[in-house]
Amino acid sequence: MKALTIAANELRRLLRWRANIFFLFILPMLIILLLGAAFGGSGTARVGVIEGRSGPLARQFLAALDARPAIELRRYSSATGLQHAVARGDLDAGLVLPAGFDSRLRGGNSATISYFARPNSVAQQVRATIQSVAAEQGRLLAAAQVLERARGTSFTQALARARAVAVRTPRVQVRLTAPDGSNYIATTGRFESGASTQLLLFIFLNSLNGAAWIIETRRLGIARRILSTPTSLRTLVTGQLLGRLAVALLQALIIILGSLLFFGVDWGNPLGTAAVVIAFCLVGTGAAVLLGSLFSNEQQAGPVALLLGLGLAALGGSMAPLEVFPKTARTIAHVTPHAWANDAFSKLLNHGGDLGSVLPQVGVLLAFAGVAITFATWRLRRVLTA
Amino acid sequence: MRAALLIAGKDLRQRLRDRSALLSAIVVPLALASIFGLIFHNVTGGHLTFTFGLVDQDHGQAAQAFETQALGPLERGGLVVVRPEPSLAAGRSAADRGKVAATFVLPAGLSAAIGNGRTAELRVLGDIDQSIGVQVAEAIAQSYASRIDTVRLAGAALGSTTPGSVRTASAVDPIRIADVSTTSRQLDAGTFYSAGMAVFFLFFTVQFGLSSILEERRDGTLARMLVAPIARSAVLAGKLLTSLALGAISMAVLALATHFLLNAHWGNPLGVAILIGAGVLAATAVMALVATFARTPDQASAWQAMVALVLGMLGGTFFPVSQAGGLLATLSLATPQAWFLRGIENLAGGAGAGAALGPAAAILAVAAVTGTLAFLRAGKLVAR
Repeated sequence: MKALTIAANELRRLLRWRANIFFLFILPMLIILLLGAAFGGSGTARVGVIEGRSGPLARQFLAALDARPAIELRRYSSATGLQHAVARGDLDAGLVLPAGFDSRLRGGNSATISYFARPNSVAQQVRATIQSVAAEQGRLLAAAQVLERARGTSFTQALARARAVAVRTPRVQVRLTAPDGSNYIATTGRFESGASTQLLLFIFLNSLNGAAWIIETRRLGIARRILSTPTSLRTLVTGQLLGRLAVALLQALIIILGSLLFFGVDWGNPLGTAAVVIAFCLVGTGAAVLLGSLFSNEQQAGPVALLLGLGLAALGGSMAPLEVFPKTARTIAHVTPHAWANDAFSKLLNHGGDLGSVLPQVGVLLAFAGVAITFATWRLRRVLTA
Repeated sequence: MRAALLIAGKDLRQRLRDRSALLSAIVVPLALASIFGLIFHNVTGGHLTFTFGLVDQDHGQAAQAFETQALGPLERGGLVVVRPEPSLAAGRSAADRGKVAATFVLPAGLSAAIGNGRTAELRVLGDIDQSIGVQVAEAIAQSYASRIDTVRLAGAALGSTTPGSVRTASAVDPIRIADVSTTSRQLDAGTFYSAGMAVFFLFFTVQFGLSSILEERRDGTLARMLVAPIARSAVLAGKLLTSLALGAISMAVLALATHFLLNAHWGNPLGVAILIGAGVLAATAVMALVATFARTPDQASAWQAMVALVLGMLGGTFFPVSQAGGLLATLSLATPQAWFLRGIENLAGGAGAGAALGPAAAILAVAAVTGTLAFLRAGKLVAR
């Protein structure tokens, strides 16, 4: 009971310091917003395009390209401007349609589009998409060119005939499905992945920052005064642990509700998400108390908290998705609790999983928490009685 | 002037003796830059190879054409790795367990259907977690399908069905794509995070300066300084000098350390020095302005941390905000951090120091505005 009073007091200390409204609420929301804006719908690539003096065929090609969900077209007028934007990373790729695009095609020749991108993985994805649009558009054009040559009709007539024939010619379809044959849902909304990864980053970072409060409790002699009352060491340590847990849970609740309210983030199966979040908060609690008992001044604990909070988050896939990690890095990532929790969120948010499907991850997180809390308790008891 | 130097010297010695300054000014940014650089190396610069499964239930001409014409060139180019799967079940499970990004399924009778001019279907089974690879797989399959369609359409338009025309499918290609090589002016991961972390933590490093006046007031040492024959401006100057010196030392050490340890390419040394100088001035001015609004050192450090975090995030020190476009990209340009990174980008391409002047001017403009405001308000910090 007394432990609860101590915990409640810890929470009150935190909330009384008004700057924490910023660190617990505004900062996470701001970052989720920025991530959503910068990487949202990470499948969308920004492609700059120069049309030149384009004719109807060029316009049709661009319209087909723009219709692809993975591509977002932006018009440019100067080649240098376009090249700069690509080089700086403001665009993922650039396309230049030659001035004679239409006339070359009408003349029975091929038209060549210049494509430039930075050498990276997005460039490959964009190129494959543009290639497929070119092939799709080329279908009618090639047929028209063959017709024109064979029958000697005008290109316009040949193209019209090719169009008419195309309607009744059977086609080869490509059907994309999930492995089990169900619809392939191109993952989630703009803010989902940002929200779940930042949830983990902030629970852990703000838990670690809480180490400063434990150090202050020791430094100001609050702990000694509590121990001079009829309060056992066990109660005091339990109170400290519960206090940190309460802060972690509060942070989790703020981000989950805030992102739900402001960005409409879908948090998936409530039971599954709750289990993952609570297990992860327990890990944060253990880490916070451990850090708070290892250091004896706040100025040292602060930078270490920042280093661990950001470093482990980056390693564990809370800054860039584990999908893009090389294989060995993905294995190494799993020394962090973040990686396990991110795996769990991928199951919950992308695969529509429930509590049962994330039990292995929750189990691992609880093991992390068990080790951290046991060690932290032992260490805190030692420094409080020293 | 001598008093100012004495105060700055005392503060500097104090900060350097206290290991926490060393931690946040050098150790933490260096450690984070190396972690980020290692992890994101592949994301920004590396070549990603996609692994795809292939289930061939057709065993005919069409399947052969798909393997040799659609996948073959990509495989030779090192862009994709193809794993033949013995059965549909194996292909499903490979995509489900993430062993491959996607599995192509060429159903039985595909060649026959294509040859006889009937509708046919290729299937792509995509792993939900590898959406980029799945898009590539879908695009490859679509290109192939379009090429077959082209031949069939040409045949139909001419009024003849041409069975077995699959092989010639790759011959016709009216719209071609030529790759033009571009030099990337985007920083490589190592350089981006070295510069990003350095300028992000710079704003924390310089915050000691003016806000330490608030500490001295709390501890009662300010009153003693003010009754001594020291001009109030000397106290302020001493504190500002501390910030400038700490900031310059930290940036110089970080630039050298990341150059040698992380292989970061900062570019022309004179240009980098100009940017660092401007950056340190701006950081000190902004943090000094924030300090003038605070009443206690705790308040000052909390507000300064907020401002440093928001400016750092907006300035794109953690991830490129300019990609977002629109309002955010515009807001980003109001931060000295964004201009600092832009300056380093300009230099990284091997340009001379002149390439840093534009961004440096923008940083100095921020320094001038915030510095003037801080100067106008600073008097009350040292009021008797």
